[in-house]
Amino acid sequence: MTLVMVVDDDQDLAEMLGIVLTGAGIDVDLVSRGDQVMEIFRNNPPDLVLLDVMLPGIDGIEVCKLIRAESMVPIVMLSAKSDTHDVVRGLEAGADDYMVKPFRHASELVARIRTRLRRTNADVTALLTIRDLTIDVTAHEVSRAGKKIALTRLEFDLLVALAKEPGRVFSRDVLLGEVWGYRHSTDTRLVNVHVQRLRSKVEHDPEHPEIVMTVRGVGYKAGVSGNS
Amino acid sequence: MNRFRATIRNSLASKVIATTLLLSFGVLFLTGSALYSRLSEGIRQGNLDTSLAEARSSFFNAQYQFLLAQGQSDLEIRDVVKDVIVTSTSAGVNQGAKSIVLMRIPNSVSLRPENIKNLYDTISTGLSTTTVPLSLREKVEQSFVVEYQYADLEYADGKKESSLFAGKRIDIPNSGTYEMYLIYSLSTQTATVDFIRSALLITGIVLTFLIGLITYLVVRQVVRPVREAARIAQQFTKGEFSQRMKIQTTDELATLGNAFNEMALSLESQISRLENLSRVQQRFVSDVSHELRTPLTTLRMASEVIYGERETFGPTTMRSTELLVAQLDRFEKLLEDLLEVSRFDAEVAVLEPVNFDFVAMVERCLEEAGARSHVGGLVLHLEPGISQIQINADIRRVERVMRNLLSNALDHADDKPIVVTIVGTSTEVAVGVRDYGPGLESALLMRVFDRFWRADPSRSRVRGGTGLGLSIALEDARLHNGELEAWGRPGQGTHFVLTLPLIAGGSISSRPLKLEPLDFVKA
Repeated sequence: MTLVMVVDDDQDLAEMLGIVLTGAGIDVDLVSRGDQVMEIFRNNPPDLVLLDVMLPGIDGIEVCKLIRAESMVPIVMLSAKSDTHDVVRGLEAGADDYMVKPFRHASELVARIRTRLRRTNADVTALLTIRDLTIDVTAHEVSRAGKKIALTRLEFDLLVALAKEPGRVFSRDVLLGEVWGYRHSTDTRLVNVHVQRLRSKVEHDPEHPEIVMTVRGVGYKAGVSGNS
Repeated sequence: MNRFRATIRNSLASKVIATTLLLSFGVLFLTGSALYSRLSEGIRQGNLDTSLAEARSSFFNAQYQFLLAQGQSDLEIRDVVKDVIVTSTSAGVNQGAKSIVLMRIPNSVSLRPENIKNLYDTISTGLSTTTVPLSLREKVEQSFVVEYQYADLEYADGKKESSLFAGKRIDIPNSGTYEMYLIYSLSTQTATVDFIRSALLITGIVLTFLIGLITYLVVRQVVRPVREAARIAQQFTKGEFSQRMKIQTTDELATLGNAFNEMALSLESQISRLENLSRVQQRFVSDVSHELRTPLTTLRMASEVIYGERETFGPTTMRSTELLVAQLDRFEKLLEDLLEVSRFDAEVAVLEPVNFDFVAMVERCLEEAGARSHVGGLVLHLEPGISQIQINADIRRVERVMRNLLSNALDHADDKPIVVTIVGTSTEVAVGVRDYGPGLESALLMRVFDRFWRADPSRSRVRGGTGLGLSIALEDARLHNGELEAWGRPGQGTHFVLTLPLIAGGSISSRPLKLEPLDFVKA
């Protein structure tokens, strides 16, 4: 059974989230204070964390950083603010996705959670390469010259999405669909922030990317091997 | 000249200095010319008196000499003539050069005609023979006293010199009556008068300059604080309220400065109070919207759970559930719009431009708004051969404008068609949404962008807009430096035109799509 940790100080909302997620067949661990998260997280590691931005104790952004420091577990931020500033702050702290309250439909939340939890790319060849980067899809590992690079699940999915079709240019909208599971969305900030994060981990020089290349005005593509 | 005039008009200092210079120049000119004419007249008169006195004495002497020589031989008389000529031209206090002309009056009949051959006509060297003016000669011929006249002395070589001519009839024994002229050069007098004139002129110029300088210094004392005040007032206009005037004296200008500074202080405090008030208000709206979101989220999820079970309810509960869900949707939309409005009011709305295809965006909006299935039909006008227009803009906002325009049109089109037109140029893109509904009085057109304004309060809301849509759309357009305009006529529908610069941050220089629809025929 899948376990989702719901961190929200609003008791009623947390309970409601619990009802909806349980109804969708997902186990729920409810936490109401930011400073309690890490203890419960270590004792009973969840498969995904649903994290509110405004929390008593430690605020959601800080909690997100703490979790990221020891785990690559998917994190979805819940925010009452749709202002760019807060969204980007959450994503930069390590969140994979965010949802702005109120959600259009509870089913949408469930769908997002499922996307983040699903074992992706089962159909893809086990080994992919972008330049000097080796991606072992089955083992969920990325390495360069035998050295492993730790990526979050989302970053891994993003890299695989680009790598499985080398040379194809992916628009941000397409990436949102393939990696995040959005049916339609115009918020391409998600993609931008994650590409930046991914680059900071896999590129030699993030200022001059060779793995995840920007195609001006269109989107991104994987760097072609043997071109250096 | 115009620029000069403009400078004078625009500067108090220049105006005062110019006026002072003009007036003082006038006064100096009048006094100067009066002084000059008095002085030159005096000199001329003095000179004339001296010259005439000298001439009289010369003439008397000559007459006396010739009387004494009566009855003497021609030779002796000749000597007397010579002597008279020499004494007349050398003696005297007048420093000016003197010349003499001695001419026999042609028609004076001699007592002894055989002596007529003894002519003593004399003329100073170099003089023209016709130099004595005829008018003077006529006077002298008929007069017994000394006559005089100012005239030019002509030399044989054509040179001229302004001079005083004094003449008298003289009888020379054994020869007849002569006209004797003594000619006094006025060059010394002219030089003196010239000197006085130039001295006066120079004094005048120097005085004018000095008066100008003094005026400038005085005016500067007054104008400087005024300029300072103007500069600070300009800073105020730019929103810089901390500027104050420097006050170093206790005169009227200091009073002005004090009054100005007090005004500044009062303005500053009032503005900051108002700013604070409006900040608090905006903050409140924003906080309220945020605070409402969490319970709204719970409500939505709860209603969804209940809605999912509605088949098991009785008909009343079932309908209530449906209404609950629908109203929650509306509530949420209203909250969203309120928050957006509060962002615009707080001026924290920012553009997040991306590149996208404008045509595809419009088509997506048509799809989502359900415009394709509109009862009255939908027409999409696109310039032939154009399938996409790439623009750089905040897609979220542009989509929102488009959705608002479409939902507005769908609300009012009834069962008549909706026409959407897209036109692009090299610098801007425009989209027009035309409906053929009840339309609007042109006087009400500006109000369609007002918050919560409804054209016809009695008209029921078909789609349940929030009343903020068009107002937000206008703000969105303006944030892009674009424009959203409305056209309408009663019974002829409305036409909304959104014009955006092709590149975010640019500006629109024309309207590729006219606001007045082409199909509109003026009554």
